[in-house]
Amino acid sequence: MSDVSKTFSGAEASEDSLSSKFLTFKIDNECYAIEISFVIEIINMLPITPVPGLPAYVKGIVNLRGRIIPVMDLRIRFNKSEIAYNERTCIVVASIDGMDIGFIVDSVAEVLTIPESDIVNPPAIKKDSNRFVKGIAKVKDEIKLILDNQSLIDFRDIDDIASAIQNEN
Amino acid sequence: MITVLVVDDAAFMRLAIKNVLEKNGFKVVADAKNGQEGIEKYIEYHPDIVTMDITMPDMTGIEALKKIREYDKNAKVVMISAMGQERMVKEAILNGAKSFIVKPYKEEHITQTLLKIAADK
Amino acid sequence: MAEHYGDSLLEMFLFETSQNTEQLERIILDTEKAGKFSEEAINEIFRIMHTIKGSAAMMSFSNISTVAHKAEDLFYFIRENPSVEYDCSNITDIILSCMDYINSEMEKIKNNEEADIEGGEALIQRVERCLHEISGGKGVSRNKNTGTESKSAEKAADGEKVSKDEKSEKHSYQLTVFFEEGCGMENIRAFSIVRDMEDFADHIRFQPEDIVENNDTVFEIRKNGFKIFFDSAKTYQDIIEIFEKTPFVGSINLIETAKAERNQTQKGAKPEVKNGQKNGNKADKNDEHQSVQSLISVSVSKLDKLMDMVGELVIAESMVVENPDLSGLELPNFQREAQQLHKIINEMQDLVMSLRLVPLASTFQKTHRIVRDMTKKLGKEAEIRIIGEETEVDKNIIEHLSDPLLHLVRNCIDHGIESEEERIAAGKPPVGTITIEAYNAGSNVYVVVRDDGRGIDKNKVLEKAKRQNLLKKPESEMTDKEIYNLIFLPGFSTNETVSEYSGRGVGMDVVLKNILAIGGSLTVESEEGKGMAVIMKIPLTVAIIEGMGILVGNRRFTIPISAMKESFKPDPKDIFTDIYGNEMIMLRGECYAIMRLHKQWGIETEVTNLSDGILILVEQDDKRRCIFADKLIGEHQVVVKTLPELIKRIKTVEGLSGCTLLGDGSISLIIDAGWLVNTDIK
Repeated sequence: MSDVSKTFSGAEASEDSLSSKFLTFKIDNECYAIEISFVIEIINMLPITPVPGLPAYVKGIVNLRGRIIPVMDLRIRFNKSEIAYNERTCIVVASIDGMDIGFIVDSVAEVLTIPESDIVNPPAIKKDSNRFVKGIAKVKDEIKLILDNQSLIDFRDIDDIASAIQNEN
Repeated sequence: MITVLVVDDAAFMRLAIKNVLEKNGFKVVADAKNGQEGIEKYIEYHPDIVTMDITMPDMTGIEALKKIREYDKNAKVVMISAMGQERMVKEAILNGAKSFIVKPYKEEHITQTLLKIAADK
Repeated sequence: MAEHYGDSLLEMFLFETSQNTEQLERIILDTEKAGKFSEEAINEIFRIMHTIKGSAAMMSFSNISTVAHKAEDLFYFIRENPSVEYDCSNITDIILSCMDYINSEMEKIKNNEEADIEGGEALIQRVERCLHEISGGKGVSRNKNTGTESKSAEKAADGEKVSKDEKSEKHSYQLTVFFEEGCGMENIRAFSIVRDMEDFADHIRFQPEDIVENNDTVFEIRKNGFKIFFDSAKTYQDIIEIFEKTPFVGSINLIETAKAERNQTQKGAKPEVKNGQKNGNKADKNDEHQSVQSLISVSVSKLDKLMDMVGELVIAESMVVENPDLSGLELPNFQREAQQLHKIINEMQDLVMSLRLVPLASTFQKTHRIVRDMTKKLGKEAEIRIIGEETEVDKNIIEHLSDPLLHLVRNCIDHGIESEEERIAAGKPPVGTITIEAYNAGSNVYVVVRDDGRGIDKNKVLEKAKRQNLLKKPESEMTDKEIYNLIFLPGFSTNETVSEYSGRGVGMDVVLKNILAIGGSLTVESEEGKGMAVIMKIPLTVAIIEGMGILVGNRRFTIPISAMKESFKPDPKDIFTDIYGNEMIMLRGECYAIMRLHKQWGIETEVTNLSDGILILVEQDDKRRCIFADKLIGEHQVVVKTLPELIKRIKTVEGLSGCTLLGDGSISLIIDAGWLVNTDIK
């Protein structure tokens, strides 16, 4: 995990123990943040091999120097329209619960230190991208939506579909 | 069918000799990778003939030859030697080896020798 | 001879000889550290060279055999003359060169390439020169016996056996024996004959006389035959018969002579022999060898079969224990015993898998040699620290790990470790340290090669990549990691940076390829000025199956060959639909359901007409089905990688037993044969 902190030399080293470092990235015009401790590396797009039976937002798997990593398109996950990948599109490779996953994002921004005091709970209203957001922070006049990693890999909705199909038979 | 015990510390040699013998109608009942094992297998299998490599670590072919002949004075042992081992071959003969084969050997050497020795007495 | 028995004998030769060269290398390196050759070392080296010489000669690899022979001569001399002075380091170099030559010639043999005769000759001369030097020009001739034994042998103490019964009919004979061509050591054979004759002959004289002491008598015997004069009660015919039965006797010439010859003095009858030599090697030093003796070598294919069977056992166990016949029944005793059975089978499976595991030690030890050679030539100081060499990996893997590992070490010394002055100036110890570490973590083995050198110079790497046009994005946007990973791109290491040691075509990209081939992955860490580390993650067991690549749309899949019965382009006449609307095909009187993979998985393809694609008859669990795909790509050995954990958890993904990486880096999904025949057709 310390690798990534090395890669962004611009990151401010914070003495404050109640702050965490976050990696921020953009999807559409929204800026999301994920705790750096989960991030393994950031890579450019790789050829994706689709796997039959996956939900639409899990695009398939990629070969990262011999490691097979599943990739999830966050645009689709967050119910946004799909766009063509370009040279700015990145895959943020993370490890959550000991499992590897890559998040396809529009572009990667920077590593920020966000003190806990600056993070507020999200409004408990709508669905969509909200159920993946566990906090909101304002950094230099910009809103950062802090992601709840667990929720991203929660595939219970698929399980429901799966069991529904089974029951049908 | 003539039964043979092949004693040599190199697995390669054991396999090579075994191939030649079996191809020519002999039956290799056992093989051994050192002198001690050679003696044990001789006692267990009582082959018609033993082929014995001269240079082996621990117990040499000559020592094993002696012991086998002590156990069975009629044991027929053929030594397998290399060039330059005249002294040892001589000693083997003095200790009862029936004949010897020099490496690299020709197939006929082995088969003819074993046939003749087996036929004797 | 090799042609008759072909592969297995050749395999055995290569296997044993490489074990021998490895062992020899170890002894030599140990010796070098000690500064001189111990008695055991000399004997062992001699014996190994002797063995290699013999087997190579049998296989007609005369270049290898002669090199080994010369080395054997050298050590013979050293063994027989313990007080001789020699330059240990020089001899070590020579022997190591011999080992290298033999090893590389074996590689050539494996690859059906031409032998390097010239290299061998050069090496032979080198060994001969060395021998010449240390022997003061005498060299070694093993044809003449040295020592005093020869003299005493001549005195025939007992002399002749005098016949007790003077009255019996005695004939005098002159016998000339020619031995079979190429039988070797004719003088000793002559000796053997004379000895055997004592049973039935006396007044034995022979020519040449010094057959025992002088090995050069073989020439005379070959040319003129071995002449024996003797008296015997046996008839002419008897004697002919006796010699016909004697091994290696080619032809004989027997003449009955007059009895007058008896009075001549006899030399050489019944020569005594003193046993003046020490035989073999001492038993004490073989303590370490004893532990080696308790190992046996097992063919890997047998282990594979065993593993397969255990796999089937596991499946059979669950078929019994989870049998529908038992559902709903309360069977506490049965459950308990079933648990026990399960436990035993699991243990057995672990044990069988562990049979294929081999410690990394031997691979790690090879690095010592590289460090020694390279630091010597490059004038740097470095030492190797090995941690965790007892860590075991699958036998299949070890072979693929060796080259990458050695290359990484070479790379550390070549590019990583700085010269002594640089290091001292940087406040580092003058001797560089290369650490090779292996450890287990979960179902993987990690092998790390780390050095405390100068680390990866990002600027240099970027420059290089720019020159080679390997940069895909602007420099400023690249993370450190991305920069480090550039060194693994094919084409990165060119002839410029390739030194004599890193070799041509053995760049970091080849290291990566090798690791990928065994289902592993690679990461690089580096800190400028402090050093770098390459971390290889390798799965513990590698499932390798024979697979058939197939194409559906633009997607590649792999079907295990073991489940494939046959494949064919269907004749439209044979295809029909049953009353339920399922596509079926008639094949040699049997009816099989057809499953279209593109429909099953919703893959777009232009090949929808059955006669345009290919049907594959698949069999598993006694069930058969025809699977429809676009085309067959080809058969290949497939290293099975498991699908990512996350994917495995998604229940809607089915029918895949894993995936594999193809040569071009793309992924082919491996189809589960059981699912193919059992799942409902869409």
